[in-house]
Amino acid sequence: MSAPADLPSPARHPGAAPDSACRGWYEAHGRAVYSYLRFHLSSADEAGDLTAEVFLRAVRAEERFDPARASARTWLFRIARNALLDHARRERRRQQVPLGALRDLQSDAPSPEERVLWEEEVGRLLSAVAGLGARDREIIGLRYGSGLDTREVAEILGVAEAAARTRLWRALARLREALRS
Amino acid sequence: MSEPPDDLRDLDRALRAVRFEPRASLGPEIAGRAARREPPRTRPLAPHGRGMRGLAAAAALAAGLAAVVLGLPVLRRGAPVTIDRCCYDLDGGGAADDGIRIVGHRDAEVQRLWIYEDQDRSGGLTPGDVVRLERGGAPALAETGTGGLVTREHCCVDFDGGGPADDGVLVIGVPPDRVLMAAIYERERRPAAGTPARFPLR
Repeated sequence: MSAPADLPSPARHPGAAPDSACRGWYEAHGRAVYSYLRFHLSSADEAGDLTAEVFLRAVRAEERFDPARASARTWLFRIARNALLDHARRERRRQQVPLGALRDLQSDAPSPEERVLWEEEVGRLLSAVAGLGARDREIIGLRYGSGLDTREVAEILGVAEAAARTRLWRALARLREALRS
Repeated sequence: MSEPPDDLRDLDRALRAVRFEPRASLGPEIAGRAARREPPRTRPLAPHGRGMRGLAAAAALAAGLAAVVLGLPVLRRGAPVTIDRCCYDLDGGGAADDGIRIVGHRDAEVQRLWIYEDQDRSGGLTPGDVVRLERGGAPALAETGTGGLVTREHCCVDFDGGGPADDGVLVIGVPPDRVLMAAIYERERRPAAGTPARFPLR
């Protein structure tokens, strides 16, 4: 995996207008944040709304960002993770929208038929992920939804990289079992 | 980064291939909201959010009782809020360049509603945009006897500021750019057993 471009730091852009800073952040990490959230949410609209929430929170919190403590990219994903946790708490009692319209799924499928097969495969994968425990869902979403590497995942979770890796492989093993059943 | 165990490689590869692409208008919409210094819609919950929500519920109950007992009108209804969402294809023009701005009370009635074309790509209603429809509190057809009407619908987004993305918008117009009626609706959260879900238009 290629090294990600880091977030433009507020310290490097003192007095920058919030929209220009936000635009730069979104260009650098918007897709990854959206994809991470979409891994957990059943509709593109919901993921879009929460992505906006993440970046608006980042604009509000930028003065508290300390590059000595964490990379800007992991700081942004911590905000995304917290926003997702808040969302999950609020939506706990709400009816789940079934996985269905994956119109925002990227695909290199050469034909519409193969695109449909790919959507079915991803729908099956995400349904199985949604049936896992919260810890498993979290680490799978961080690793595969966002494209973060295990070092960054470990940093966000506040654990050693080896521990994050072990946790990830265990979560994948449970996912494989869920898919078999 | 170390590779996964052999028996998990196929699954690892399949998951790596899953990528989602946000709609093209999301970036400009977020930048527009940041430029307007729009606050996040929700505040982060404290780690003990449940306890805090319990306190908040108790405070709301106390405020409700106070309103009933003292008749304080200010506590009966919050201030109106403005919700601006962009960009969708609401006028049938084919491009996702239309926005909807709503002024009303959270999770309640609509007071004003605009459908606009986001011509300056700001992600929100600005003086540079073209307003396709402006209405007051009640949805009604702006013209009658018009042919070629097309109904468009988009669901589900938080259009009424209630929090959850459970609102839809219904637009009647003549493509590519005429909008004659627009209304939002909320999917009924818990229809009573044996009754169909209702979608009252606002």
